[in-house]
Amino acid sequence: MTRPLRTVPAGPTATPTRVLDGDRVTRVAWLPGSDRLLGECSCGARAEGGDPIGMWQWLLAHPDHPAQVAEPDAGVAAVHVPPPHRVARPEQAAGPRTPLR
Amino acid sequence: MEALFPAPVTAVTMGGMTSIVRNQWYVAAYGREIGREVFGRTICGESILFWRREDGSVTAMSDRCVHRRFPLSEKPSHLVGDTVVCGYHGFTYDADGKCVAVPGQTRVPRTARLKSYPVVEQDSFVWVFIGDDDRSDTVPIPRAPWLDADGYTTVSGMEPLAARASLLVDNLMDLSHETYLHGGYIGTPEVANTPITTEVDEDAQVVHVSRHMDDADCPPFYAKSTGIQGRIVRWQDIEFHPPCLYLLHSRVAPVGVLPEEDGTDPGGFHVEVVYAITPETEHSTHDFWAVARDFALEDEGVSDFLRESNRTVVLQDVVALDALERVLAGEPDGYQELSINIDTGGLAARRIIAAMAAAGAEQVPESPAALAR
Repeated sequence: MTRPLRTVPAGPTATPTRVLDGDRVTRVAWLPGSDRLLGECSCGARAEGGDPIGMWQWLLAHPDHPAQVAEPDAGVAAVHVPPPHRVARPEQAAGPRTPLR
Repeated sequence: MEALFPAPVTAVTMGGMTSIVRNQWYVAAYGREIGREVFGRTICGESILFWRREDGSVTAMSDRCVHRRFPLSEKPSHLVGDTVVCGYHGFTYDADGKCVAVPGQTRVPRTARLKSYPVVEQDSFVWVFIGDDDRSDTVPIPRAPWLDADGYTTVSGMEPLAARASLLVDNLMDLSHETYLHGGYIGTPEVANTPITTEVDEDAQVVHVSRHMDDADCPPFYAKSTGIQGRIVRWQDIEFHPPCLYLLHSRVAPVGVLPEEDGTDPGGFHVEVVYAITPETEHSTHDFWAVARDFALEDEGVSDFLRESNRTVVLQDVVALDALERVLAGEPDGYQELSINIDTGGLAARRIIAAMAAAGAEQVPESPAALAR
């Protein structure tokens, strides 16, 4: 048995899309020519954002969508200093494991 | 912020919870793998025996003899009619897993019974239900009918993956990696550079990711199979039914050739790529792959080419994911990952799988020793 499909409006990208018929369909479209994402909730709320983590947080807040999508790199220092990546187990160590003669 | 979407749960967790989603259907084998011989495969950490009854229907039960745990899939265990006879001491089980004969006595102990698994054979797959049997009727099995339909020719296989299933889900939910990992096969520069639209049907728990390229290079995978020369319009529509069935609807046509107004599409070449992502253990996965096409149906050369090409692509993923599993296994806590726009669909899939795992989780079962009499 195949579930019925319905066509949803094409949205900001050229992609016509068909999704399973349901009341709770969320969409995240990637605006062409930019790095911005556009999120659309089944309730009609829409917002623009800069990364998928912020976008999903905003969408999953349904029905209490915040005024804005949290932007990436908020709270990150202008020059981010990353920590080292620690390896505990020998099998995870990279590179040749043979002595050099 | 990244903490709301944590990295997939590893096996080293608290309270016996695992990352494998229970109370779901999983592809255990292709129909052609199961016959009138005993066949064993581990699915979601459970050792299962498969065989066909004389009427052709498939049955599945635990792959350990209740007596001394000999694997019933090992020689000299064998079938006699609709029973399986353990190769060690001859314990004999019927097609429902019930022991019907033991050596040296007429009384068969009441606990001499193998767990029996619900099984459905459909779309060229043998599906098995992992979880509480009485929930199997409430969980639908997603479909891929083109794998066993007129009008399509299918090539298929399975590769063992020494990596947890979530890594394969991540890999398949973002096809940008084709440009890099599979360049020269199915990858072209356009794939990674084309925006995607992600849709999630929360009720049906399905994730759709679409990438429509209006003017792209035609990679060898499609040029050689369709005969198209020159640039193409290439549509990739992913439809993922967590936790197991992944569908990639692929449409290829010369640039400018679009479907008709009435919905028919005589000018397009359609390839349905299907993956079934079935955990073997917490750290290994059965990677079932199939490619169905609606053109050049009788052309053995095209079948051979698609089979070898797709297998090459799958093996490229296997090598990469095996390496990734090695560096992740047992990694100290506290590492975060970084997600960018191409990860939108993968993050949605992770979220749905995590919700399914929580819904399907059960209490840690009593130890077998406590149950044995």
